[in-house]
Amino acid sequence: MMKVQRKSSLSARARYSAAALCALALLGSANAANAADPLQPDPELEAVTLSAPKPSWVFVERGFVAPGTTIYDTDTGKMLGQVETSHLSDLGLDPNGKAYYVAESIWSKGLRGTRQDMITVYDSATLKLKSEITIPGRILIGGRKFNFVIADAGKTAYVYNLDPASSVNVVDLTKGKFVKKIELPGCASLMPVTGVGFSALCSDGSLATVKVAAAKPEITRSAPFFSATNDPIFDNFGYDGVKQEAVFLTYTGQVYTVKLGATPTISEPFSIQAAAGVSPADTKPLDVHWYPGGRQGLAYHSGTGHAFVLMHTGEYWTHKEPGTEIWELDVAAKKVVKRIPLEDPAEEIAVTQEPNAKLIVSGSAGAGGSGALYILDAKTGEEKFKLEKSGGGVIRTLEP
Amino acid sequence: MKTFNPDAMGEKLLRRFAGGTSRRGILARLGLALVAAPVFPVLPVSRASAAKPDRSPEAKTTFARNAQSKDDTKCDYWRYCAIDGSLCSCCGGAVNRCPPGAEHSPVSWVGTCINPDDGRAYLIAYRDCCGKSYCNKCDCDGTDRETQLYVPQLNNDVIWCFGTTSMEYHCSTAVLVGTA
Repeated sequence: MMKVQRKSSLSARARYSAAALCALALLGSANAANAADPLQPDPELEAVTLSAPKPSWVFVERGFVAPGTTIYDTDTGKMLGQVETSHLSDLGLDPNGKAYYVAESIWSKGLRGTRQDMITVYDSATLKLKSEITIPGRILIGGRKFNFVIADAGKTAYVYNLDPASSVNVVDLTKGKFVKKIELPGCASLMPVTGVGFSALCSDGSLATVKVAAAKPEITRSAPFFSATNDPIFDNFGYDGVKQEAVFLTYTGQVYTVKLGATPTISEPFSIQAAAGVSPADTKPLDVHWYPGGRQGLAYHSGTGHAFVLMHTGEYWTHKEPGTEIWELDVAAKKVVKRIPLEDPAEEIAVTQEPNAKLIVSGSAGAGGSGALYILDAKTGEEKFKLEKSGGGVIRTLEP
Repeated sequence: MKTFNPDAMGEKLLRRFAGGTSRRGILARLGLALVAAPVFPVLPVSRASAAKPDRSPEAKTTFARNAQSKDDTKCDYWRYCAIDGSLCSCCGGAVNRCPPGAEHSPVSWVGTCINPDDGRAYLIAYRDCCGKSYCNKCDCDGTDRETQLYVPQLNNDVIWCFGTTSMEYHCSTAVLVGTA
């Protein structure tokens, strides 16, 4: 609009002069073009390929409404590609960097027809389909990191199912075959346990550990240590596969650390609020405190043992409220070492596992929306990039 | 949370469900869930809640203190204390009915919500309407006593379209089951 107005305000004389100048310029450029070789036609078109995934890369689901998981490089803020993840699917990263795995459920006729559950395997360089591994079923839910996990250095996958009894499908990724189904009543959210199988959080407040290799899988449970109904542990927790550790956070802000194994060791909890020097939160109505929240409210940096938690003020049962601050918690020292205020409240947070870590934060846009994605320097909290309409769902980085 | 009794809620809901469905497949799966129920003991929680519930304003959540009973197309309508998704009342259906062409899921997650008019707590079954693509209108997310995936009957993120011809999520209803 502005351009047109400016043009029309030129006087007739000025317009003639401008036309003459343009003509001269065109003549000049034509002469120059003649002197050099003409532009060559584009070569045969080939899609761009990718390197193996890097620690600086981040994989961002686009939320409940839009399918597809976008890959960004947090060093440049540039989009690198998109892994084809269908609605309510889960992405798994191959620790060997060769493949992307997508646990998904599709129907033969769009919304209807025969249901087909599978792990779809994509080549990490071309992002093209390599193979499909049929599985008996999986849960349909959005926004969870621990329903589809890769174990045994990329050889095994565990897929959680709810139909509405709960079970786990064991898949051999090397052979591309479903192996067996393990009933897992009352438990969910899977953590691979090296040489054993996996652990899961349970509704009786215990941690179940499943020995997968046994002919009849053995399930043992820890003593109950949290209240699954009055102060639940967020099922998007911190997990370190190499150190075999997990960091759990409850709705009131109690932090547990767990050493995983055939017999896991669960620490005494401490309050994240007390660790920040503010009053510990409780479950009472009308008590206003800082509470953890969001949909993926905790990111764990294995190298430093620091957790980054989305926090907001309010009353209890506001556990899905977006965070207005990021609290950096030194888990071993039980101390909040930094608080980063957020202008745009955040629903999801992840951290790259690089030494100079970057935080990836998805702004809130309400259900069905797609908020902005922010890339922050974890040390300073400084915003490096803001990518409009790029957030919305689970954020993954390469994790140990 | 003295008002909270997942066992009684589950029983009431399943009795209602058992009287209104004939799907053997889903019943078999539910049967397994039921058989498994004693294995994951929610019992200590319900036993602890034997005391008389406290209905004073001091005992109410933010949602319950601010809830209204007049407009069921708004997120603060009292039955929506633990709903998640599009309100079927905004999508051509009603607070307890699916929009045309959508199918009620026979199972659901549940919530305990307080009616501001009589001060009583009621068991609400959030039955998804299924088989059509996401309505994406009047999106609400009530989180009173909403827990995580390892207590699925109290988790509102699960797609509850079990036992329907299609598992595609359209919108959510809030069906009053009875007093809690």
